[in-house]
Amino acid sequence: MANRTDPAAKSIRGTNPQNLVEKILRSKIYQNTYWKEQCFGLTAETLVDKAMELDHLGGTYGGNRKPTPFMCLVMKMLQIQPEKEIVIEFIKNEDYKYVRVLGAFYLRLTGTDVDVYRYLEPLYNDYRKLRRKLADGQFTLTHVDEVIDELLTKDYSCDIALPRVKRRWNLESLGSLEPRRSALEEDFEEEEEKEDNDQPADELEDRAYEKDYYRGRSPTRERERDRRRDSHRHRDRDYDRDYDRDYDRDYERERGRGRDRDRDRDRDRDRERDRDRYRLREEKDYGREREGRERDRRDRDRDRGRRRSRSRSRSRSKDRKDYDGGDYRKRHARSSTSPRRHGDGHEDDEPKKKKEKKEKKEKKDDGTDHPDPEIAEANKLRAALGLKPLKV
Amino acid sequence: MIEVVLNDRLGKKVRVKCNDDDTIGDLKKLVAAQTGTRADKIRIQKWYTIYKDHITLKDCEIHDGMGLELYYN
Repeated sequence: MANRTDPAAKSIRGTNPQNLVEKILRSKIYQNTYWKEQCFGLTAETLVDKAMELDHLGGTYGGNRKPTPFMCLVMKMLQIQPEKEIVIEFIKNEDYKYVRVLGAFYLRLTGTDVDVYRYLEPLYNDYRKLRRKLADGQFTLTHVDEVIDELLTKDYSCDIALPRVKRRWNLESLGSLEPRRSALEEDFEEEEEKEDNDQPADELEDRAYEKDYYRGRSPTRERERDRRRDSHRHRDRDYDRDYDRDYDRDYERERGRGRDRDRDRDRDRDRERDRDRYRLREEKDYGREREGRERDRRDRDRDRGRRRSRSRSRSRSKDRKDYDGGDYRKRHARSSTSPRRHGDGHEDDEPKKKKEKKEKKEKKDDGTDHPDPEIAEANKLRAALGLKPLKV
Repeated sequence: MIEVVLNDRLGKKVRVKCNDDDTIGDLKKLVAAQTGTRADKIRIQKWYTIYKDHITLKDCEIHDGMGLELYYN
């Protein structure tokens, strides 16, 4: 009787809202003393009082998987199904962080995709500490924005499988959501301006750059490339990562952004372009690409440092020759995509590298080349899980 | 290398190859990969003895061909 959902409650995602929590966990919660004593006959108002008393979040813990009070309250909310305004009040309140996280969790389970992003993303700016109970019963430190990130990116949290929400870029392309603006953006722009003020700007060249820019030369072309790149950003995540790793070396035109930047001789032109490009990217950036932005920041810093040092070095011609040499080679259809640092003199290293690679392949130490196919497959799985190979 | 059989008596019977110095947690990961449940939802028992995650199979005295009970959390 006490465990029935409120008959006036709507069905969520086609089912009884309590079914969002799977059967075994649900039974555990119903048998829990906290549920039986404290959560009996709660209404939305009295639920707030209970939520204010929370002091940790978590899923189930211990040998017999006891649920935490946080879980019981989430279950209670699913049972009584409070109004959306109440849930948003939970999220908006600043005083009680656990109430906030409780509201955010409930909204993640029951809200529409747009609501989820709209109300949970502001919580990224909350850096307060939280206590989280792990599966073995110990507490660990986490933060509000970490929890929100987990809710928005992962599909499992606190022992509850989170319903699928559409990707952010999907919603942006549909027009339901604005592109993500990070709260750190002002900090970025400040940082950029500070860098600009450190080095004197050459006005003449700036004007020339403006003209070129509007005429639609490489900066715009580059921008389009960026735009194209950004629109497929979700797919090109690995691409991005590789790009970062190879950043310090020369690389081919497809990863043109960095190359164009390098090829450009004018420091200031670069910097302005950086700023604009960064802004453009920001417009297309989304919540989950936080790491991407971190990477960008790192990119820009690294690039700026390198550019600065290069411009300071006297032997600029040497660098230019390297670029031109590398460029020439790539333009003439070099099939290998491995980055090359110097122009020539590479032929000697290649056969050596090939030999080393072959040797490595023969002696795989994770046992995936075992003659018995079953064992080889088992070893492959083990390697994927991070375990040592089977001892045969 | 030993092979253990895990049965949940509801239709899931799984044979898993593992080392005897693997822990129960590793065994759960392998079982999860084969059955599709999450590793932290699995409980491995023998009668009323619930095996803990950090103990090796050798210390649990689990030998080749032994049958274990598969339960869920």
